[in-house]
Amino acid sequence: MDSEARLLRALAASQPPARDPRFALAVIEAAAADRFRWDMSRAVLKGAGLAAALAALALPFAGWAGSNAEGLQTGLLGAGGLVAIVAVARLLAARTRALLPH
Amino acid sequence: MTPHDEARLIAAARKGDSRAYAALVDAHQQAARGFLRRFCGNWSDADDLAQDAFVTAWRKLDRFEGRSSFRSWVSGIGFRIARDARRSEKRANARDSDWLAQQEAEIESEAPLEDRIALARAMADLPEEQRAAVALCLGEGFSHTEAAAILKLPLGTVKSHVTRGREKLLRALETNDG
Repeated sequence: MDSEARLLRALAASQPPARDPRFALAVIEAAAADRFRWDMSRAVLKGAGLAAALAALALPFAGWAGSNAEGLQTGLLGAGGLVAIVAVARLLAARTRALLPH
Repeated sequence: MTPHDEARLIAAARKGDSRAYAALVDAHQQAARGFLRRFCGNWSDADDLAQDAFVTAWRKLDRFEGRSSFRSWVSGIGFRIARDARRSEKRANARDSDWLAQQEAEIESEAPLEDRIALARAMADLPEEQRAAVALCLGEGFSHTEAAAILKLPLGTVKSHVTRGREKLLRALETNDG
C-alpha cells in the first residue's frame, strides 16, 4: 500500500465522535448558566451605577436642604398637595365609570 | 438538514427557543467536535471547547449573517477558542502528541496502530494554522473555501497549508517505516 493510501486510511480511522444527545443538553444547560451570569453582572453593574448616581446627588441636596429649610418645607407641602389632588381625581373618575351604564 | 430547515431553526434560536438551538447543536456537533479533536489532540478538552463554541455561538447568533454555513461559523468560533486556550496554557506539543498516541491506540480500526500513532504525532508537530487546515480539509472534508472562511485566512494560504501539511504527514509515515 502506498503512503497516500496509508495516510487516508489512518486519517479516516479517527472518525468524528458519534452523535451524543447529552452534548446538546450540556450546551443548553451551559448556555442557561452563561445567560444567568451575564444577567447577574448586568444587574449588579446597573445597581452600582444607580447607587453611585444617588450618592452623588444626595450630597449637594443635603447641603442645599440645610440652608433652605423653609423652601424645602414649601416644596414638600406642594408635592403632597399635588399627590392628594391626583388621588382624589382618580377616585372620582373610577366611581363615575362604575356608575355609568356600559 | 436542509438549508431551509437550518434557517428556520436559527431564526427560532435567535428568539431564545432552546429546542431549536438544541436541534442545531445536534446536527452540527459531530463536525465541530471532530475538528477540535484533531486540532487539540486531547479529546476531553476538545469536547469542552466545542461546548464553549456552541454556547458562544448562541450568544452571538444575531451576528451570524449566513454568508457561510452554520457548521463553518461554529467551527471558526471553536478554532479561535481552542487557539486562545492553547496559547494561554502554553501546552507543549510533546505532551499533546503523547495524548494523541494514547487515544489513537484506543481506537479500533483497520488502519495499523503504528500508522495512526505516527500520524497523530506528526499532526501535533504541525504549526497551528497548518494543523487546523489539515484537520478541516483532510480530516473533516471541509472545502478549501470553507476552511479559509473558518480560519480567516486567504484561500491560497489554506491550499498551501494543506499541501505542505499533507507532505509532512506522508514523510512521517515513510520515516516510521525505516
